[in-house]
Amino acid sequence: MTEKRSTADYLAAGSQLVVVRDKANATGADDVEIFVIVSADGRVTAFNGHVDLGTGIGTALGQIVAEELDVAFPRVTVVLGDTERTPNQGPTIASETIQVSAKPLARAAATARAVLLARAAERLDIAAGDLTVTDGVVTAGARTVTYGELIGQERIVLRIDMAAPLKPVSEYRVVGQKAARVDLPAKATGGLVYVHDVRVPDMLHGRVVRPPYAGVDVGDFVGTSLIDVDQSSIADLPGIVAVVVIGDFIGIVAEREEQAARAAERLRVTWKPIPHLRDLTDIPTALRENPSTPRELVHRGDVEVTRAGVAQPMDRTYVWPYHLHGSIGPSCSVADCQPDRLTLWSGTQNPHMLRADLAKLMAMPEARIEIIRLQAAGCYGRNCADDVGGDAALLSRAVGRPVRVQLTREQETAWEPKGTAQLMEVRGGLDATGDVASYDFSVRYPSNGAPLLASLLTGVVPPVPMVFTMGDRTAIPPYSYGALRATAHDMAPIVRASWLRGVSSMPNSFAHESWIDEAAAAAGVDPIAYRLRYLEDPRAVDLVRAMADRVDWVPHTAPGTLGGEGDILRGRGFAYAVYVHGQFPGVPAAWSAWVADVEVNTATGDVALTKITVGQDSGLMINPAGVQHQIHGNVIQSISRVLKEEVTFNQIAVETKEWGGYPMITFPEIPPIDVLMMDKPEEPPLGVGESASVPSAAAIANAIYDATGVRFRELPFTPERVLAGLQAAGVAQAKPPAALAAPAKPAKPRGFWAGLGIGLAGLVGIGTLALPIRSAIAPISGIDPTLYSASTIAKGKTLAALGDCAVCHTAEGGQPMAGGLGLETPFGTVFSTNLTPDVKTGIGAWSFDAFRRAMREGIGRDGRHLYPVFPYDHFTKTTDADLEAIYAYLMAQTPVGSATSANKLAFPMNMRPLMAGWNALYLKTGAFQPDTARSEIWNRGAYLVEGLGHCSSCHTPRNALGAELASQRYAGGVAEGWEAPALSTLSRAPIPWSEGELFTYLRTGFSPLHGPAAGPMAPVIHELQALPDEDLRAMAHYLASDLPPVTPEAEKAAIATADARNATALLPSAGPGGRIFQGACAVCHAPTAPPLFGVKPNLAFNSNLHSDRPDNLIRTILRGVPKPAIADLGSMPAFGPVLSDSQIADLVRFLRRQYAPGRPEWADLDKTISRLRETSTHISQ
Amino acid sequence: MRPVTLCVNGSEQVLVLADDTPLLFILRNDFGLNGPKYGCGLGECGACTVLVDGVAARACCLPVGLVEGREITTLEGLGTAENPHPVQAAFIAEEGAQCGYCLNGMIMTVAALLARDSQPSDNAITEALRYNLCRCGAHVEILRAAKRAVQMTAQR
Ligand code: FES
Ligand code: FES
Repeated sequence: MTEKRSTADYLAAGSQLVVVRDKANATGADDVEIFVIVSADGRVTAFNGHVDLGTGIGTALGQIVAEELDVAFPRVTVVLGDTERTPNQGPTIASETIQVSAKPLARAAATARAVLLARAAERLDIAAGDLTVTDGVVTAGARTVTYGELIGQERIVLRIDMAAPLKPVSEYRVVGQKAARVDLPAKATGGLVYVHDVRVPDMLHGRVVRPPYAGVDVGDFVGTSLIDVDQSSIADLPGIVAVVVIGDFIGIVAEREEQAARAAERLRVTWKPIPHLRDLTDIPTALRENPSTPRELVHRGDVEVTRAGVAQPMDRTYVWPYHLHGSIGPSCSVADCQPDRLTLWSGTQNPHMLRADLAKLMAMPEARIEIIRLQAAGCYGRNCADDVGGDAALLSRAVGRPVRVQLTREQETAWEPKGTAQLMEVRGGLDATGDVASYDFSVRYPSNGAPLLASLLTGVVPPVPMVFTMGDRTAIPPYSYGALRATAHDMAPIVRASWLRGVSSMPNSFAHESWIDEAAAAAGVDPIAYRLRYLEDPRAVDLVRAMADRVDWVPHTAPGTLGGEGDILRGRGFAYAVYVHGQFPGVPAAWSAWVADVEVNTATGDVALTKITVGQDSGLMINPAGVQHQIHGNVIQSISRVLKEEVTFNQIAVETKEWGGYPMITFPEIPPIDVLMMDKPEEPPLGVGESASVPSAAAIANAIYDATGVRFRELPFTPERVLAGLQAAGVAQAKPPAALAAPAKPAKPRGFWAGLGIGLAGLVGIGTLALPIRSAIAPISGIDPTLYSASTIAKGKTLAALGDCAVCHTAEGGQPMAGGLGLETPFGTVFSTNLTPDVKTGIGAWSFDAFRRAMREGIGRDGRHLYPVFPYDHFTKTTDADLEAIYAYLMAQTPVGSATSANKLAFPMNMRPLMAGWNALYLKTGAFQPDTARSEIWNRGAYLVEGLGHCSSCHTPRNALGAELASQRYAGGVAEGWEAPALSTLSRAPIPWSEGELFTYLRTGFSPLHGPAAGPMAPVIHELQALPDEDLRAMAHYLASDLPPVTPEAEKAAIATADARNATALLPSAGPGGRIFQGACAVCHAPTAPPLFGVKPNLAFNSNLHSDRPDNLIRTILRGVPKPAIADLGSMPAFGPVLSDSQIADLVRFLRRQYAPGRPEWADLDKTISRLRETSTHISQ
Repeated sequence: MRPVTLCVNGSEQVLVLADDTPLLFILRNDFGLNGPKYGCGLGECGACTVLVDGVAARACCLPVGLVEGREITTLEGLGTAENPHPVQAAFIAEEGAQCGYCLNGMIMTVAALLARDSQPSDNAITEALRYNLCRCGAHVEILRAAKRAVQMTAQR
């Protein structure tokens, strides 16, 4: 486990030299923050209040300390960001670590070195200036002394000397060299303990259930919307320790993680209706209407006057969407709350701020709260890492034991404070010579610090709008325009939003750098030359020129110079920015410039990046390898944001909950990246964590313009947006929408017993005329199963499996064959009966005659009619010998006492005698009669399929009285709400079924040319595993006997078509539904995806996509395939809880168009989806 | 709940579990393994990747009942910091991670790739990793690491 040494522990140790600083409000000599400890054993420990967000700052800080102390880098350990032992240096934001917080650390190391050298000088009796130090060994001529010897047994405490001399750059040996990342060996072998991996003794597992207003934290409904938590909804689940409800905060604590997770999914919660959100599909209007306060940041000249006189007005609006931080690991925290003390293991970016928040939430003094900071998934700003700490603290307090809370993907995604949308407006213009005369810039940035969620949900902090003035980063363009004004319209968030990499600067620079490109084009000047007119900062000018050289920039004054071929147009765009961070006016981090090379497909709107060249002036680079890594990371993350990313909303909340709906860049999309690092070792080091993101959007927009002559001012540059823009500008032909057949009227569900009502009157008539109530068969007192041979019992077991006895006669989680499963019918629920040989409640009192009569005629032992949901109309075909074997098997089971629940049927269906009428009409009793004209295998197949197998009871449509339509055998039916596809020539399978594929399907539950068994077919296949190959072959032979033969050529052609459909399904231009497919489905359904445990059902072969009804497809998406027929098939997760109805509709529409292009669109998808969702269990927010 | 026998990194354990428990929870909570990570629970990101009988599997949505009796290998089962598997060594050498949360998935996916094709083309590597997400943008270094792993495997 993580060691828990506090500042006091560190200070108390002997044989060490400690460099400290007094705390801001120090209460005594020991109230200090430690920066560096040099131990007599040669180890060095450095402390920094910032945290490693996965950017490798631990390595760079270690290099700085090693350098100033003159020790080898591996000796240094860096401790980051715990409240108990690191200095409070504020949150790790704005690339400040190296630029700001490394300074005292360097001085601390220098302080230590100076004192150690003075001691050495004394010991060796030589002037300090004549000493040299190598790896902690001080040398004067032949004599040496080590730091360890100089410290000895002493406990030396020094205050930082901010005047301690630092080394000149020319003497650097460690800084500026590549240092291997110290954390990777452990990370690559599972040895590093992330916050997710913290395990403490006696720890329980927690999950939270969030309110429906996902991602919204302002408004009086926040914290006050809960109506009821129905604890009985999870009463049957094991392991639940507590359900904690405070205001709108709901948490569940359980012994095991899966128990907590299951309970959180199942818990039934009722919420008040939630007010509608501002319409965020129209960001400009939403941001203009959000109340704001203007704050003028700069005003040079008079923009009003100059603007009035411009020769060429250029007013432009640029729009930035909501983005996710998108940590790959949803936030997690462990809390141990004892009456006098709270310990929190956290991945927070701001341990000291979180401690203050927790003090408020828990009404506990800060001094009693310790935060142990561990690494988490890269966050690039404020994600839910703090929120989950509050959740864990509340749950731990409730149960008095340590609790680990893991947020789900959906919760992290929906609730993380988003990188905010932003609106940038420029009122500007050029004078007659093409110079910028006026530039009046304004920005709207609705974001704040995102108060701790648990505090809002519990009402500890009021959900009132709060304004953070963070929209001003790089709001002032880096150009010396004639008249210039920049105004930040400070505003509260609309949805939870907080800082994200390149905070406000990245959007602001998108506007500045797009606008100057537009101005250059309007002025007829090369874009780089035009920028250089207005760029005064010499380091910026150096960088821009170096970049132009690097890419052999060819000056041009109009788009289209790079040409293209066919639908492809090529372009190259430039952008430059300096990321200004911190409180306004802020400080600049590294300078950055981009050249983006793109290919735009004018037929699809797809923008492919062919190369990114990025230049950066970071001043002195502590670890150049680390800087390069950071630049790559920034480039990749930012192109993902610019091309692909956008959070979507529904009327009340965030809609985006997983990666299908929020696609991020994937490996095949990564362009070559060329990095130019300016060599400026004599300049102070600058933050490199964010700068290279900042010019991205404009560079790409400028490249698209260069390729096409069309300007895009709103992100992301998705194929749909680009295509629409190109079409509007006449660059691309607007294509008539692909000719699709008119939406099909959904066929009426032809379910089992569906429409039975229509025929009821008639049935009543027949029932009263037909056979009277049948007589009972005398009960027996049970039989001795040993009367039957083991082989008969074994045979019976196989036949019972074929008949699916256990499928219907076993309740969810119940004893096999003990009955109790509710079978839904349109008229109510029929409960299956107990088939175990229990005399009272099962069939123990049934003689074989009674059993045979039930199987043949549908009459119970007591003479009552059974309902034909029990397929005795098929079982009747079974031979006596087989019936007896089944009887023997059933009687040999262990008896289970389990009374059958009363059926819940409405009148007149509750009148069993009516079934006599039904039987008179539709039941042909008697064992199977072979067709002598047919082969033996055919007859065997027919016996199995039509008898016990009762295949047609699901796969044949039924009439108004619920009987199979003899004229439409195997034309497709319904089972438990699922469509049982046609097995006749009416089959919609893209490749017709062959005997071979039918056999493979029955044997393995999967046919590569058709797909896997799912829904109610999965348990059927599961049971069929008991049958020998010959029987399944016979069934396949019989079922295929009426089907046209499949020629190898036809099969080949169908496979080729399928391959083509699969290939285009992965293109970026597949649209929103296609992107969900790519992000959520393709990993298992694209034939090109790498093998994963389980099968890869090829959707191009799936008949569900060709059906008249989308039900099977939608059901599978909503609920997944949790229990496959056979383990080898693998399972599919349920997407119902994470995809909205409209996302599923997009996906289903895409799948239909993509894989069944000749078929009409499904109508009323939204209604069907919400209907099918209703029938599923509780869906967590 | 029933006793389920699991074989993880060569050692066997019998646990009383519900069949539908995701394998990931068992590996992390019962076997105490840190390698496989929870990222999405939906099979979308790859952070939870393990090998089942040598084939990659996404443990977050793999019901434990399906892997009973099969050989499960996690990141820890590949190698150790002192004696890393060639794929692990390649990722360390090329610094194929920033925060490293996705690293388990990347390493396991490349290990699974090399197990079925010891000399994959660059394109095959990219396609094999297509469904593994990395938010930190460590893709360049990850691809380099994967290519180094191919070379190291060839030299063995
Ligand atoms: S956590 Fe398993 S794929 Fe994301
Ligand atoms: S390194 Fe952070 S997610 Fe890949």
